[in-house]
Amino acid sequence: MTFWLLAGLFIVSSSFTGIILVFLLSGSLPIFTVYGWEFFIGTEWFVGEAYGALPMVYGTIIVTAIALSIAVPLALGTAVITSEVLTQNARYILKSMMELMAGVPGIVYGLLGMVLVAGWVQDLFGLIDGNCLLTAGLLLGIMILPTVMTLSEDAIHAVPNTYREQARALGLHKHEIILYGVLPEAVPGIVGAVLLGMSRAMGETVAVMLVIGSVDKLPTPLYNLFAPAQSIASKLGREAAEAIGVGLHWNALIGLGLILFTMVTTLTWFGERIGWKGRLHRI
Amino acid sequence: MERTSSPNMSAASYRRPFGIFFLALMSFVTLVSVTFFVCIVLIMIVKGYAVIDWDFLFQESRGFGTEGGIRSQIIGTLLLALGAGLLSLPVALGTALYHSEYLGVRFKTITMQLIYALNGVPTILFGLFGYLVFGIYFGLGISWMSGVLILSIMILPTLVVSIRQAIDGIPGQYREAGLALGMTTPQLIHGVIIPQCIPGVVTGLFLGLARAAGETAAIMFTATTFFGVDIPQDFNDPVATLQTHILILTQEAIDPAVTDVVWGSALVLMIIVLCFSATALTIRARMRLGS
Repeated sequence: MTFWLLAGLFIVSSSFTGIILVFLLSGSLPIFTVYGWEFFIGTEWFVGEAYGALPMVYGTIIVTAIALSIAVPLALGTAVITSEVLTQNARYILKSMMELMAGVPGIVYGLLGMVLVAGWVQDLFGLIDGNCLLTAGLLLGIMILPTVMTLSEDAIHAVPNTYREQARALGLHKHEIILYGVLPEAVPGIVGAVLLGMSRAMGETVAVMLVIGSVDKLPTPLYNLFAPAQSIASKLGREAAEAIGVGLHWNALIGLGLILFTMVTTLTWFGERIGWKGRLHRI
Repeated sequence: MERTSSPNMSAASYRRPFGIFFLALMSFVTLVSVTFFVCIVLIMIVKGYAVIDWDFLFQESRGFGTEGGIRSQIIGTLLLALGAGLLSLPVALGTALYHSEYLGVRFKTITMQLIYALNGVPTILFGLFGYLVFGIYFGLGISWMSGVLILSIMILPTLVVSIRQAIDGIPGQYREAGLALGMTTPQLIHGVIIPQCIPGVVTGLFLGLARAAGETAAIMFTATTFFGVDIPQDFNDPVATLQTHILILTQEAIDPAVTDVVWGSALVLMIIVLCFSATALTIRARMRLGS
């Protein structure tokens, strides 16, 4: 009895990932039969006329890249200091703070971004509108910082003390112990933490939706970070309710969802594989 | 001593300055990250504190969110999160128990990776999935029930992993003692494993509640309405939540009074979420100290 009950619950919960994949595949099938590869490389998105995913994919990648370039250096520096320099108590306080901050809802970041950060970016760079790729990237960077920090700190802290002691016995200075003794051992865990942070940044919806500007075009020129753009998640957040579950528009949105799912799942998978076995980004 | 004339001298001479520079840089970086979060918390408190009073917390909102309080929104957020937690808990417990007690070693890794993959799925995709499957196919529409179902799937991995870690932390002797008494696996589960992993279950539940209470994307077009619901009378009624309230008002706010409501709601939401996470983290810290 117990066995069958548990087995049933187990099968239910391990099948959800598959069910969602099937849902995305079947829902997006029509758009691929109608548009084929055009869907991936098309740069125009006009409901009822053209569905091209490229601007959204590009926006997602750029926003994630900005977020990482902010979050990774900050997170690593903080993690190194927290694990290697601070006292036990200070480490505990900083870690708890970061773990709590990792749970702050996306909508709160969205609010801060929309009311404050967008205005600052606008003034600082003399833009007409502060809602752009850079603002979204900045916001996401701060948002994933605690996740990346606390997971890489775990990885650094888990390096056995013998490494530190031996490096010390060789007469290395503090920074050399960290750079040559400890960090190389922690690399897999750090990479895993970064990949998990990256997948979180890619999938974030509301915080991005409020500040990215929501324009379904590639920025001109391509490296223009001050252009309003769109990420896949923000596009889905904006339009899913309008598409009411049927028709090519809905299929195209599900197609975008499938692209996002593939990107994020690949990252999560690599992150878990490379990173610390059995870890989960926690909140 | 003629050590200074050794060929390594030039290499040695910049070791100390570089070390100081490196540690200074890292400390600066730490300071920057800490400042970010101290600022965020301070901004939230300063902007939200002025708005929050008893009336704001316990009155219904009026005039499309511009006046009155946020009682219905707080109730909605809590109802959704608690519903999801209660629904997810038995499923997660069963999953974790089956995974640790019955499942063959060959399948352990692959199924755990499926759970991790589910954890990584962007929340907006749960929204799309729930909108079509629960909302349209199951005919639940935009309702409290749809939201609870979606969120319970979303937080399932958090609970499973937390419970699984707690089961792993049970000392081997407990299990052996049970087996030595001739307990069967179901008896072992009831008598030893479940009682021993309760702290893990509670931790997972609170982490899940924190995630569910802070979630916007998955429920914004599947379970919530902006205005006009106080307490849902029926499973098929939509609810008002703090998340949607903030989302809609931020996009439409020009009136300063509305902006105040938004900051107040955001602070309340943040406090709710942080309370859930803090409870979870405290229990987990206790659990680690105990073991």
